[in-house]
Amino acid sequence: MNNILEFKNVKYFYQTKNDEIYALDNINFSVKEQEFVSLVGPSGCGKTTILSLTAGLLKPSSGQVILDGSDKIDTKKIGYMFQRDMLFDWRTVWKNITLGLELQKPKNLDEKLTFAEELLKKYNLDGFKNKKPRSLSGGMRQRVALIRTLVMEPKLLLLDEPFSALDFQTRLALCDDVYEIIKSEKKTALLVTHDISEAISLSDKIEVLTSRPAKIKDELNLSLSGATPLKKREDKAFSGYFDLIWRELTNEENEAKHS
Amino acid sequence: MKKTKQNIVNFSLSHKKYVKKLRQDKFLVIFFRIFILVAFLGLWELLTYTGALDPFFFSSPSRIVAQLGELIKAGTLFHHTWVTLYETLIGFVIATVLGYLIAVLLWWNEKVRKIFEPYIVVLNSLPKIALGPVIILWVGAGTNAIILMCVLICIVITTMTMLSSFIACDEGKILLLKSMHANKFQILWKLVLPSSMPDFISVLKINVGMAWVGSIMGEYLTSKAGLGYLIVYGGQIFKIDLVMAATFVLCILAFLMYFLVSLLERKYKK
Repeated sequence: MNNILEFKNVKYFYQTKNDEIYALDNINFSVKEQEFVSLVGPSGCGKTTILSLTAGLLKPSSGQVILDGSDKIDTKKIGYMFQRDMLFDWRTVWKNITLGLELQKPKNLDEKLTFAEELLKKYNLDGFKNKKPRSLSGGMRQRVALIRTLVMEPKLLLLDEPFSALDFQTRLALCDDVYEIIKSEKKTALLVTHDISEAISLSDKIEVLTSRPAKIKDELNLSLSGATPLKKREDKAFSGYFDLIWRELTNEENEAKHS
Repeated sequence: MKKTKQNIVNFSLSHKKYVKKLRQDKFLVIFFRIFILVAFLGLWELLTYTGALDPFFFSSPSRIVAQLGELIKAGTLFHHTWVTLYETLIGFVIATVLGYLIAVLLWWNEKVRKIFEPYIVVLNSLPKIALGPVIILWVGAGTNAIILMCVLICIVITTMTMLSSFIACDEGKILLLKSMHANKFQILWKLVLPSSMPDFISVLKINVGMAWVGSIMGEYLTSKAGLGYLIVYGGQIFKIDLVMAATFVLCILAFLMYFLVSLLERKYKK
């Protein structure tokens, strides 16, 4: 399988008026096609910076970010899903999911619109097509947000803690939904989360980050049995992975406190 | 409405009681609104009729009605009302449109915004009536001066409110649009302007009031006709009935304009 995304010796500094913040230190990792990769790390370690670099919203201070074989990042290849669903209240569900098409006006617009219709049907939202987002539940809203990104057929999905604003029950259910959607649409995904069990249940690979300046502390290739994230949580190896990552992160936080 | 009626049939006794209570409360509010108006007018009439208040200084409802009748008979009421309404509407529209456009401009360019910030603050706190004499010198006495006064009073608050609403636009949503490759104009058009609609409606509500202040103040300064003119004229010749009659018409017009804006609001919220 090809690498969709590759970070090569990436460093990043944030500029502020009084300071230069060293956010990323020599980040190296890659995401293969149809792989689900998670980044976990202590809060404020620069996980979101990595997503912003991937989306081309920031440029690396040094090193290279290679997306789909090119270091000139084409935003159109990226689908970004946020912690909050970012639905526009004044637009209907349909108008929300076709927002990207409206902005980019692709040549094959009709095909894309049919695709959007199909996605709505497939994921049981076509009854809400002409409803405003405020009549939807939190989980449904996030599903609409996911479809909004999928409509653009991105090569890589960036998920920035997309479940953390939801209650636990919805969170588990939506986790399954999103996993199923991503797998059945054969998408590649990069997830940022601080929820270790979420990362383990969803990912093929986990990158554990240190606190700032972030380095890759460990890379775990996971193989859990189970068709859905919920089932994967039942695998015997699950708690082993959890303990391992937990220990790595707590060490990290202790070190950060002492230094 | 239909829906609630159907629901009452289907729901429990406690629900019926609850709905009944809601209706009673609503009735009470409307009742007291009307009661206060009637009581106020009645007391006013009574006190002036018995001579406890001198109707020469305080006028009275019956005298106001008579005065209105006179104005209508003379055919001047419509003319004066139209003059003021015209000035107010033109001032309102110019100030709202221009103020809105300036806010967009200032949102668009952060440097320009920073440069103009102190000027806007000073303009906002300056009592615009102080510019009265200058306005008359610039655009001449008459309708133009009144409209300009009206615009000056409304425009700064329009710009300030809309600008702060534009700036308060959800950063996350801007990021979303940027990740979808949107340009600045698209961000403005698809996100910033629609999400500021509720604030725009409040600006309209504020301006409805302010525009009347502007046109009446303008007419105090310089006018040959209009409700403000009637008020000043009535005051000068000690004809309080005329002052009150003109004020009464103003009340009705201001209420109507506010009502139209709230209709717009209701339509938008749907």
